[in-house]
Amino acid sequence: MAARTVLRNEWRLLMADRALRIVLGLFAVLLLYALANGVVWLRFQERIVETVQTGNAERASAIEQELAAIANGAEPASRFSDPRDPYVLGGGRGTHTAVLTPGPLTALAVGQSDLLPYYYDVNIYTNESSFQQNGEVENPLNLMVGRFDLAFVVIYLLPLLVLALGYNVLSEEREQGTLALTLSQPVSARGVVVAKLAFRALLVVGMVLAASLLGTLVTGGFGSPGRVLLWCAAVVIYALFWFVLAAWVNSLRRSSAWNATVLVGAWLVLVVVLPATINIASGLLHPLPSRVQMVTAQREASNDAVNRRSELLARYLEDHPEMAEGVVADVTFSGALAWAATDAVNRRLEEVTGEHDARRAEQIALVRRYRFLSPALLAQEVLVDAAGTGDARYAGFQSQVRAFAERWRGFFVPAILAGEQMDASVLPDLPRFSLADEGSGDVARRAAVPLAVLGGLLVLVGAAAGAGLGRVRGAD
Amino acid sequence: MIRHIIRKEFTDIVRDGRFRWCSILVGALLLVALGHGWVQARNAQQEHAAAQATARDHWETQGEKNPHSAAHYGIYAFKPRLALSFVDEGVDPYTGTSVWLEAHRQNDFLLRPAQDATAAQRIGVLTAAQVLQHLVPLLIILLTFGAFAGERERGTLRQLLASGIGRRELAAGKALGVSGALALMLVPAALVGAAALVVGSPGPAASPLARGVVLAGVYLAYFTVFLALSLAVSAWARSARTALVILLGVWVVNGLVAPRVAVDLSKWLHPTPSAIEFARTIEREMASGAGDISPPDRDASTERLLAEYGVEQVEDLPINAVGVYLQESEEFGNRIFDRNYSALWDTFERQGVVHETLAVAAPLLAVRTLSMGLAGTDVEQHRHFATAAETYRRDLMRRMNGDMAENSRTGDFSYAADAELWESVPPLQYAAPTLGWVLGNRILSLLVLGTWLVGTVLVAAARVRRAEVG
Amino acid sequence: MQTTESRAGHTPLLEARGLSKDYGDTRALDSLDLAIAPGEVYCLLGPNGAGKTTTINLFLGFVVPSGGQALVSGLDVSTHDRETKQQLAYIPEQVMLYRNLSGLENLEYFAALGGRGSLGRERLADILVKAGLERDAVGRRVSDYSKGMRQKVGIAIAMAKEAAVLLLDEPTSGLDPKASNEFSALVERLRERGVAVLMATHDLFRAKDTGTRVGIMRYGRLVTELSTDEIGHADLERIYLEHMHD
Repeated sequence: MAARTVLRNEWRLLMADRALRIVLGLFAVLLLYALANGVVWLRFQERIVETVQTGNAERASAIEQELAAIANGAEPASRFSDPRDPYVLGGGRGTHTAVLTPGPLTALAVGQSDLLPYYYDVNIYTNESSFQQNGEVENPLNLMVGRFDLAFVVIYLLPLLVLALGYNVLSEEREQGTLALTLSQPVSARGVVVAKLAFRALLVVGMVLAASLLGTLVTGGFGSPGRVLLWCAAVVIYALFWFVLAAWVNSLRRSSAWNATVLVGAWLVLVVVLPATINIASGLLHPLPSRVQMVTAQREASNDAVNRRSELLARYLEDHPEMAEGVVADVTFSGALAWAATDAVNRRLEEVTGEHDARRAEQIALVRRYRFLSPALLAQEVLVDAAGTGDARYAGFQSQVRAFAERWRGFFVPAILAGEQMDASVLPDLPRFSLADEGSGDVARRAAVPLAVLGGLLVLVGAAAGAGLGRVRGAD
Repeated sequence: MIRHIIRKEFTDIVRDGRFRWCSILVGALLLVALGHGWVQARNAQQEHAAAQATARDHWETQGEKNPHSAAHYGIYAFKPRLALSFVDEGVDPYTGTSVWLEAHRQNDFLLRPAQDATAAQRIGVLTAAQVLQHLVPLLIILLTFGAFAGERERGTLRQLLASGIGRRELAAGKALGVSGALALMLVPAALVGAAALVVGSPGPAASPLARGVVLAGVYLAYFTVFLALSLAVSAWARSARTALVILLGVWVVNGLVAPRVAVDLSKWLHPTPSAIEFARTIEREMASGAGDISPPDRDASTERLLAEYGVEQVEDLPINAVGVYLQESEEFGNRIFDRNYSALWDTFERQGVVHETLAVAAPLLAVRTLSMGLAGTDVEQHRHFATAAETYRRDLMRRMNGDMAENSRTGDFSYAADAELWESVPPLQYAAPTLGWVLGNRILSLLVLGTWLVGTVLVAAARVRRAEVG
Repeated sequence: MQTTESRAGHTPLLEARGLSKDYGDTRALDSLDLAIAPGEVYCLLGPNGAGKTTTINLFLGFVVPSGGQALVSGLDVSTHDRETKQQLAYIPEQVMLYRNLSGLENLEYFAALGGRGSLGRERLADILVKAGLERDAVGRRVSDYSKGMRQKVGIAIAMAKEAAVLLLDEPTSGLDPKASNEFSALVERLRERGVAVLMATHDLFRAKDTGTRVGIMRYGRLVTELSTDEIGHADLERIYLEHMHD
């Protein structure tokens, strides 16, 4: 079997080449380093998630105890923290923190998880401006540079290793004169190159997949096998893309030096220049709306609302006649009044942010079309998405928190308007946030197109390489 | 003699199709990045200035109210975009752009542009600084890796040296020839940049032109480092291929690996608190104090005032005791915020030093630090503005509480100040730090870059002298 | 030129029928007819550019003929690439090997590619020694082999393959006389075992010494063909030079 023979010979050649051994060893070290980094970050996030959840439980039990004490005749500690007051129970004191658990494969790709908030305090004051918050405390310099995670190694360094291993698979055989001897045997150039590259691909992809699976094993990511599968598929297709690119360049029958130059140039263009150019072009053609103007709009909305409190309450009750029944006749009742103002601000904020978000979504949809130009962008999208640290999962979390805040208000506002008091009997019914995390199917649906395009590129370049190699003969 | 070499190298390079295309590509990217950066910086600055004016307007027209209510109403501060930020946007996308200055709290800067962008936009950032830091060195490597190794392989080195020229003259000639070719691309870009700065400075800055000149000097030093390094490796390597592989390895470590390793190393050496820990610490200390900082005692405060004015009843005080107490708690809060925020900023600064120190392995880190510093987009200058905004907030609160204490009586909640008071508060005038301040903060990077410059030039000279003829 | 019937009357192992090759406007080989039987050593003589290497490349399928056919054991090379290569062994002017591997490892590789992967290392080492390599050189890296040693590995590759046909392209150029003699002896041994050999050379002495027949080529044409038993060294040289004049 010729392929096996070539593979064995390749193994020998690689092992005999000290420089290559060092490069491979270095790559393995980088993989492990990246993995360790990711695991440290995941553990950090897990610790914070636990802290946040403990906070929820502590607040709940403090409220439960005080309510029990009050039921037994004790006085509340302060009028402003009386848990019977729906303004208190649904407000700051009763705050429930909604948490997004770290993406199942965070250890492999930090993605947006260092930038975007992963927990929000929800109470009746939660509105659109509550979503304008920073995520984790992090040095902006570190955010700018980004993390040394497995996704970084795959997107940037893996192609370089592939090129270093593959730029001369054919050209070197010709330059050192072994090609004629090889092709005088009953084998085809295509077969030899495919076997040689297959061997290298096995080695490189094997190393990356081993590191990925090790990371998954260590962090329990096998709970989402679908994500692991998508991650592996993206790694394999992306790595193979670079291998077939190397094969294609080799099939052009130029010198090793020429191949190296062209491949490094291709890396630079596809991985560095194109993504950057795409971002610049999209920034010019489809600029994102500015948040700064939103701040001003929000401010104006709340000024307006504060100035027209009582008018707003009347309108609120018109809009929500079901609430009117319980409202205390005296409209100076501060709870209802304050709520009316809050609600008006919220509505106005929703309008302002709604417009902003719609424009932003439009621009991003346009920008996302350009990513098909760069395999690096496609691979990054799938890797980060599969890891559960991509934009979509965070957006999904945010909209769940939005719905949860709505539910929260729906629970407390009628009581506020009616001036009701609450007791321990409501505790079991208090809204609690439970994350409906996206399934592997959702991720797969999002990843299908980028993966298919990446696969298409692979097939296209692979076909060109196959055709080119078919023309290779011993006497070039 | 050397003139001939320079001219030959220059002509050779300029006629080489590969160089022409590479330079056109890099030059075009540089110009596009400059243009895009300028437009963006100008838009952002105009928007921030307009928002700042509106915020001031809101403040002045808030109507009659109690000064403490006004303090709660507060004012927004928007970070200005400095003039040179169009060359290097630095950490700006990752710092917030606006902060709410209100009573009792030091707020965080919110609205990080990067949070609004997509994940893809984090991997492909192209500013003029990125082109200068990453692509130009690559171009230099491609132009010089064969300077000696290639001539040796072709056998032309033997012939050249036989004609009586010294190795060092040859190296200098080649270096100058390459520099001349690069200048064809860089000088126009620098002129465009300078023109943009003079004609339509996108934002305010202290001495933008002087900053620009130093910035140009920093990049020149950086390019010289790469030029000298490439020549040294080319003289030392056995083949042009080896030289290229080594230099590309240096480029990858310098531009890709080292910066990210610096991130992890800095986080490991100087960990930052988590957001929740940070917030809880402040909350706890605000409630019960920290160390020798204890929360003000309202009764003690009132007692002191009664003693001071020699009266028995708070009603008899000529001032509002609540105003005094509010200011006392404001000052207590300030000490707690100072404690925590200074510690955080200092941690960021120490992390920054780790990045700067790692520049001994990757000159990019020194150049990036200097470039952001000169462009006014580094963490330190963000802190500088944040500090200015916080100082302004504290002054604002002092004025509000002072007015309340002075012009109303204790228990009188009907007192309302009007636009006269609001207008008496000077608007936030931010003065960007001077060039001296920036460079003073960046001595380490200057030193490391200087060492790289001297070191690589010396090594290149030594290597070239010993270059084998082949 | 007429089809040359092989002396032994067997089916020729190597046969060219009106074989031609054009490179652009240049005709590198002009309707060559040739047949080589088992046990024959056919030497192609001629100056550089006469079409010798092109002929060998055509038999190897390294270039596609512009006209005619190259046959190995009666099979057309251009339609039966694998099958014909199964029968061929090729030793180029410079036997280039993987420098980082030993002679034995190189042989192992090429033998396996040629379908002799089942041969054990012992057997292969024996073959290398039989091909004339010192026993202690067998396991050394090829990077410190001399040209003659690499040539011997080339022969060993051919021997291990037990190919019916041997194609030699200037195999002795650059070898010292002792190594050349050893090489000729090896070829002779293979010939005795019934191998058909096609050898391109411009060494008249070697052609007379090793070959059973000699074909003289010029400008892509086979201008004459001689049997070496019928002529002496001097005759060959005279005939060769005669043909080189216009």
